[in-house]
Amino acid sequence: MFFCLLFLAVFSTLRAQQSTVYASVLSTKLFVVGAANPETGLYMQQPSEDTVWHHLGPRTIREFGVAVHAPSRGQLLCLASGNGVHRSTDGGKTWKITTGWQITEVLCVIIDSRDPNIMFCGTPYGVFRTIDGGSTWTECNNGIKEKFTSSVIIDYTNPSVVYCGTEDGVYRSENRGDTWKRTGLSVGGVRVVVQSPQDAKMLVAGTDDYGIYITRNGGQYWEKSEAGLDHQTFYIIVFDPNNPQVLYAGGYVTGVYKSTDGGTSWKRKNNGLSVLNIHSIAVDPTNSNRVFAGSMWGGVYRSDNSGDTWKYAGLSGSQVWQILVEPF
Amino acid sequence: MKQVTFVLLLILGVCAGASAQMVNRETYLKEFEKRAAFVTSIYDTIQAPGYYQIAVRYAHNKEIAVADRMFKELLRDPRGDMFWMIPCIGAYLVGKDKMSEETRAIVRNAWKTYAPYRGDTENHWCMYYSSLYLAAEQWPNLPGTEWYNGKSSEENRQEARDYLIHWMKITTTIGQGEYDSPDYFPEYAMPMFLLSEFAKDPEMKTRGTMMVDFIFADFATEHLDGQYIGGYSRIYQPAVFKPLLSGASQFAYLYLGTGEPTNSGWVVLPALTSYRLPEIIYDIALDRSKPYVEKERKRVRNVIRFGTEKNPPVYKYSYITKDYGIGSLQGGILQPIQQHTWGVRYLYGRPYTTIFGLHPYWSGWEVGMFFPEEVKTLIADVVASKGTYNNPDKWTGGSPFERTFQQKNTLIVLYDIKPGTTAEHIDGFFPRNLEERIVDPSGWIICKAGDTYVGWYPLQEYEWKEEFEAQANSLNAISRPQMERVKETGNWRLRSYKLQNGYVVEVRSKDEIGSFDHFKAELKSHIPKATLIPGSVSVRYTTLGSDKMEFVFPDKRALNGKPVDLTKTKLFDGPFLSADVGSEKLTITYKTKKLILDFKAAKAIE
Repeated sequence: MFFCLLFLAVFSTLRAQQSTVYASVLSTKLFVVGAANPETGLYMQQPSEDTVWHHLGPRTIREFGVAVHAPSRGQLLCLASGNGVHRSTDGGKTWKITTGWQITEVLCVIIDSRDPNIMFCGTPYGVFRTIDGGSTWTECNNGIKEKFTSSVIIDYTNPSVVYCGTEDGVYRSENRGDTWKRTGLSVGGVRVVVQSPQDAKMLVAGTDDYGIYITRNGGQYWEKSEAGLDHQTFYIIVFDPNNPQVLYAGGYVTGVYKSTDGGTSWKRKNNGLSVLNIHSIAVDPTNSNRVFAGSMWGGVYRSDNSGDTWKYAGLSGSQVWQILVEPF
Repeated sequence: MKQVTFVLLLILGVCAGASAQMVNRETYLKEFEKRAAFVTSIYDTIQAPGYYQIAVRYAHNKEIAVADRMFKELLRDPRGDMFWMIPCIGAYLVGKDKMSEETRAIVRNAWKTYAPYRGDTENHWCMYYSSLYLAAEQWPNLPGTEWYNGKSSEENRQEARDYLIHWMKITTTIGQGEYDSPDYFPEYAMPMFLLSEFAKDPEMKTRGTMMVDFIFADFATEHLDGQYIGGYSRIYQPAVFKPLLSGASQFAYLYLGTGEPTNSGWVVLPALTSYRLPEIIYDIALDRSKPYVEKERKRVRNVIRFGTEKNPPVYKYSYITKDYGIGSLQGGILQPIQQHTWGVRYLYGRPYTTIFGLHPYWSGWEVGMFFPEEVKTLIADVVASKGTYNNPDKWTGGSPFERTFQQKNTLIVLYDIKPGTTAEHIDGFFPRNLEERIVDPSGWIICKAGDTYVGWYPLQEYEWKEEFEAQANSLNAISRPQMERVKETGNWRLRSYKLQNGYVVEVRSKDEIGSFDHFKAELKSHIPKATLIPGSVSVRYTTLGSDKMEFVFPDKRALNGKPVDLTKTKLFDGPFLSADVGSEKLTITYKTKKLILDFKAAKAIE
């Protein structure tokens, strides 16, 4: 009996620590439309698999992003791709393109974790929303001037509040995207907007050419974060889900920057990175020491010591547009 | 041996027919059949698997088992996205009643298991949705589980139809997005041919036929012996200085009998269809009895950032005679990467039948306007497939620092190049095989190409660089006797490093101006007056035709004292084609004949 209980306890602990990594590969260096291109698209692995990845879904559709519905433990997945928004309800075994011809080159997709029928996607043509699981999509750009949208997030404390990063700043909607108002950040080329896991009013934005900006009041006022940063183009910023003082950032020839003081100052953490163009970073929520960095045409790198050192983790030659790590 | 003799006879037959003399309808149709037989002739003997080899075997009712086997082999691992979809569905539709049940099932299964990329530009979408439309019609009533994209047959058919109607509408209201492209002509023609031949829905079939007519009518008014008269949205480097290498020229050979014999795969499926070029389009394509001006309005492909308008207008001006054509776009970035802003093309001296100039510009900003990937790495992305993009010696591309002003056969091009930009120079292409290339003390460079004379007046100092070409480019055409005889040693590049720059180009034919000596004498008394300082670049010039042109960079143009307003340009405005912006209606006129393509009503009215 004791051994049974012990086994169950160990099994539960191991299970609780299990996580799944999703990597969205846009291209390899060899991509040419219409050619016999190498496989790209969505890959997944368990961190214990080291450099081994398993492909899911379509193979050469210019996949930019992935969204995972955590409450369904990854049964509901969405892809943002050149072909539109793909949706799977069986963990990636089968897929359906939910969008039509009007929605193309989808750069990002998000699922409302409370109501998975609600999704947003960001495209060069602006933001689109579905409230019926993808059966119909509506363009919702009312108030947005420069529509090219690289990033959309839903406020985890209030699902009516949505933020998006476009070519002329960060916009905020208080009615699920029906109308938008530009926040205090009006720089060009916003590539990523993220929300602190501890303080919903704290947002961090990464831009193409204008550096990193932080707001602590929901977007009214943004401050440029400069201490320790030698670069200005950032494609990805993430919070450590277990410690909101810790952030990672990556971009054009930046390698990985890390902040341990909530974004006030940064240090480069590139030991072991042989590619410095970084497009995606994810922290394992079950183990904050484990961090993944997706490069542009150099595959994935992994750190097991919070970014102090990195080692190659597979997907050689890939442009890894997005990485997610989910706790299941 | 018999086969070789047959092919030789065919070549002799089609070469005889390639002199581009206007013939009556009966003769035209007979000669068309000969050319169609020629362009398909080798495909049922090629043993390597290929969709055209399959289609021709089915069409010729020859070696059906071989065609089946090829299909099976090719569909083991399909690749190529929309470039796979089009020939795959085309070959299937040609042969579906002849292939085995097993082959039919294999083709069907490919549309369930292989997920092609939809692409990121208009020709991709056009091919993708035309193929998907035809496939959805072929396999109706299937659930989403039977299709690669999870959508049912009806969902796919409807979506494809909606896109195609949308594309036809914008093309016939504000112009084609990848307009007048010698190299991308086939990517539009081919899917429309397939809709015309195989769509089950009568309206889509009619629309497909009308779009083929539309595309051909557009080409017919602006070609010279199979060469598209520039400017263009897109052209690849070999065809920009060897015009007959382009895809459009291959269609010109098949449908007009012009240019040179070709067995390009692009024309194979069209040659197997029942489409025949309307007589009126043939007539306007071949009648060069009088010089004419053709003005057209096109549109820039979707601008997704760094711009205020999604599809800014493109204004094209062409002047066409029986000996030459000169055409220009207004300048600026009107298409990424492969734009050809202006050019002269003439009959003399194949394969290098052109003179043109450009500012060989490139930037992340330019490609970022049109492609969604990261601006800082886009150039590397683009160079993977368009290797010359960031080469300062390239021969294709538009520039934000370039503008044109054309009046009939006179063209002014001005540049006000920002210091520090990519390529701080401008280039001019002069073929090596010109009969004369005289640098006159007056400043004019005066060229003779058979009965076509070209004068080029550089506004700034320049130098000549000799170009070398490793070998003849033998893309696409299998039989080009004239080209094989040319010893290719290189052409001439005029290069000028001044940032405030420009030139005036005058083109005349022997018929228009008489002797070459007379042309030279006329040019010497016509010298442009230019102001060339940063931010203030302008020229005043009186043409050989006595028109007074005033051009202030970037967009202030005046002709004989009156401002020229390009925004009033119609969709088509010439002696043969007429269409208003927004009309969805093209009226084609030739003498007493008329054909109206009314896309709103989906009707062609003769």
